[in-house]
Amino acid sequence: MKELVDQISARLRDQKIEVPEEEIASRLKKLIEDFRVPEGEARRSVLNYFLKEHGVTFPARASSEKVKISEIAGPGRWVDLEVKVLDLWEPATEAISQTGLIGDGSGSMKFVKWTKSGLPDLELGKSYILKRVVTDEFQGRFSIKLNKTSQIEPLEKEVEAQLKRVQPMKVVEINEPGLWVDLKVKVTQLWESNSDAISQSGLIGDETGSIKFVKWAKADLPDLEEGKSYHLLNLVTDEFQGRFSVKLNRTSKIEPLDIDVEVGSQAAEFAGALVDVQKGSGLIKRCPVCKRSLAKGVCSEHGKVEGTYDLRIKAVMDDGRRVQDVLINRETTERLVGLTLDEAKQMAMEALDHEVVRSLIESKLVGRYFCITGPRVDRYLLVETINEAQPVTIADVNELIAAVEVS
Amino acid sequence: MAGFSREVARRIFVEELKSANYSFRDGEDQHQYAPQYLLTPTGAKCNRVFMVGTLTEKDDIGGDTEYWRGRVVDPTGSILIYAGQYQPEAAQILANIEAPAFVAVVGKPNLYQTEDGNIIISVRAESIERVDEVTRNQWIMDTARRTQERLKVLRSTEPVSVSGDFSTADKAPASSPAQDAQRAMEHYHTDAEHYRQMVIRALASLRADLDLSLGHTKPESEPTTKPEAEIEPPVEVKEKAKPDAKKSRAKKSSTLSGLAEQDDTEEVEEVPIFKRPIDGGEGRGAAR
Repeated sequence: MKELVDQISARLRDQKIEVPEEEIASRLKKLIEDFRVPEGEARRSVLNYFLKEHGVTFPARASSEKVKISEIAGPGRWVDLEVKVLDLWEPATEAISQTGLIGDGSGSMKFVKWTKSGLPDLELGKSYILKRVVTDEFQGRFSIKLNKTSQIEPLEKEVEAQLKRVQPMKVVEINEPGLWVDLKVKVTQLWESNSDAISQSGLIGDETGSIKFVKWAKADLPDLEEGKSYHLLNLVTDEFQGRFSVKLNRTSKIEPLDIDVEVGSQAAEFAGALVDVQKGSGLIKRCPVCKRSLAKGVCSEHGKVEGTYDLRIKAVMDDGRRVQDVLINRETTERLVGLTLDEAKQMAMEALDHEVVRSLIESKLVGRYFCITGPRVDRYLLVETINEAQPVTIADVNELIAAVEVS
Repeated sequence: MAGFSREVARRIFVEELKSANYSFRDGEDQHQYAPQYLLTPTGAKCNRVFMVGTLTEKDDIGGDTEYWRGRVVDPTGSILIYAGQYQPEAAQILANIEAPAFVAVVGKPNLYQTEDGNIIISVRAESIERVDEVTRNQWIMDTARRTQERLKVLRSTEPVSVSGDFSTADKAPASSPAQDAQRAMEHYHTDAEHYRQMVIRALASLRADLDLSLGHTKPESEPTTKPEAEIEPPVEVKEKAKPDAKKSRAKKSSTLSGLAEQDDTEEVEEVPIFKRPIDGGEGRGAAR
């Protein structure tokens, strides 16, 4: 016991704290004898008690160092940052109390403040010192996380920071979150908003492709109309699980365009083997209201409904280097498989099973090589044309042999 | 965590696939659900493969439940594929196909080490479909191209020695082809020339096959580069290649069995009884 007491007072003296030995001994004794706490744990507990008593907080884990955002190059580091809050986004889960973009003179980065951290909220445009935050990485991009051991201190001076300013962009070029962009687009779809924070969301597109947009209620901007073209200025790009979107906030501007922007006329192409026909392919039922496919007769939006039959294929193509999800609509499916919707219904009725249609599709398509074209929406390529790859000719083989021989 | 992204099905000739003996789990935390990869000598890091070849034999090696094993042949060799109760669709198709037949297989490569240290690579089929020779030819071209691409990367990484900062690069979750090549080089000391010759041999045998099928159809038709063209009215030829191709395959069944025999004699391979160990692997795979 004496030994433990000495150890503790030595550690306390290191921090210039003097505590009577009897006090240490009585706390230790209580823990060890009355509450059967192991000696090591008891020592730690008592030490922490007195440190806390005297206002010494210990970095819980590794010590952190002050860095610039551009110096963050790996996950799992504890760092201190002087930053300005450049943007705040709607957290996707309740586990996150705040998320957005922070920046300093060297760059900007996504941050996440966990709800469990119990930390006060950051304000847009204000500058702070963030202490003991952890760096993280997802798919090569870094972010910082504020957790229970982190601290937020407001800064008097303002940190010089700006979002990366990018000049007018095409939809297809958006490949990074946290950029300010201007787009000339047509609104192709408006979705029902499921959050009070969002005034409008849907799809916008230009000739290079389509992208999801979100207009915050707080942005206080006029509503966009479906089918109309606009010049949208000062949008911020965002990313979720590898998919990009743009957000319209308070600083964004909407200018109607006289011209009609053509959407996605530049169709994407993909050539490769069809390696999977996924669940939800074949004969399906759709909600008569929203056209979503039903799961066991239930629409995720409108509940139990009397569905209408449809034929479609959700498949995966693969060229040995990357995969491409594809969607094939009824007309193309009928042509490709040589089966009409009515025939498919008949088939399913006779077999008392919808899955026979999918099996038939599988047997006709899986393992074959196809070339497809169509617009890319989200992770899908919506198939407009699909053709079997040309049979290999002797000339093809000779050409490839020649290429391999000279390599 | 990230949304799941599907693993690419790699194209690897059988000879190369069977030379692989380096398997590992990837991901920051090496937990049991981290995906399993097989790294091949030319640096294909594969969790999934796509192959098209000739099914030359099939057997139900299961006990109470069906467990199907098939042998698939490509121009460079043959490999065993498996489908059991956890791949019901693949198993059913394998059960109903009569060998020999052209098949397309999507599956997971499986590495098994015997007690005496031999390594056996097989493929656990996710799906098997009967295809035609046109598809098989396309696969050989496809696989030759992909292998050629890997060899190119492999050759360019050869002179690079292991540097001090390799460890940081290694932590990156998605490895680049160059890193895979580097890793393959370190493990296998791959002789790129050997695999280049393999690609050339595979293509030469494809050329011979095509020559042969041209010869067969000549007497019945106008000389044309596309042997299928005479079967259907010319207007539809471009739009619908498949029915034509099927007929051409039927015509060529003699060449097909010839090919299978030839490959079998070229490579007489003793397959040890690995019913039980593979069953074990099966169970683990299904749990994932």
